[in-house]
Amino acid sequence: MEQLIEDLTRGNVAEVKVVLATVILGLAVYQLVLAAVAYRWLKLPFLASPTASWTHRASGDAILVLTAVVATMCLGYYGLDEGGLHAVAACALLALLAMKVLAVRLGGRPGRLLPIIGPAVFVAFAIVWLSSAGDFLGSAG
Amino acid sequence: MRRPPQWIQIAGSVLIAIAIVAIAIAVVTAHFGPTSSAELEAREERVEERLELREERLEERREGEEERGPG
Repeated sequence: MEQLIEDLTRGNVAEVKVVLATVILGLAVYQLVLAAVAYRWLKLPFLASPTASWTHRASGDAILVLTAVVATMCLGYYGLDEGGLHAVAACALLALLAMKVLAVRLGGRPGRLLPIIGPAVFVAFAIVWLSSAGDFLGSAG
Repeated sequence: MRRPPQWIQIAGSVLIAIAIVAIAIAVVTAHFGPTSSAELEAREERVEERLELREERLEERREGEEERGPG
């Protein structure tokens, strides 16, 4: 697994992970805006609520795939050693993502929790990014 | 103000997502600079190869001098 990840990233495992994590964080910020439009908390003259909802789901699917890729790279290459805050936040993030997907699929009462789970997912993403990519970019710069 | 047709809204919002992805990649890659770790490794390998070649030449020269003998 380690060799496969290293071959795929051509030896730049950390760099590729940081780029993907930053892309996820950027899309997560966009998700917040789209969700606000979808729930009509934010009214934009050029974007209707159902369209924002559609894009929110499409972008969310892309985030899920990217998160799975980064998590696989992280666990497959670095393992669980020296995880600390990053490992705890990442586990919480995966649990929250699973809850969010379930709430979306089930709808009804669990669906009403989405305005709470959504921002919680974003906060978890931000902590995971700050404890890995943020650290890495800070030391690289 | 009238909203644009739905397909334009969808295309626009998807384009914004693509732009966010492109900007994130560009900013982080620019932060790393042109030297990736693969490039750095390749550079180290080239330096090692050069040193090995130099040592080989030195040995060959020494052997040649020994064959010729003193004086």
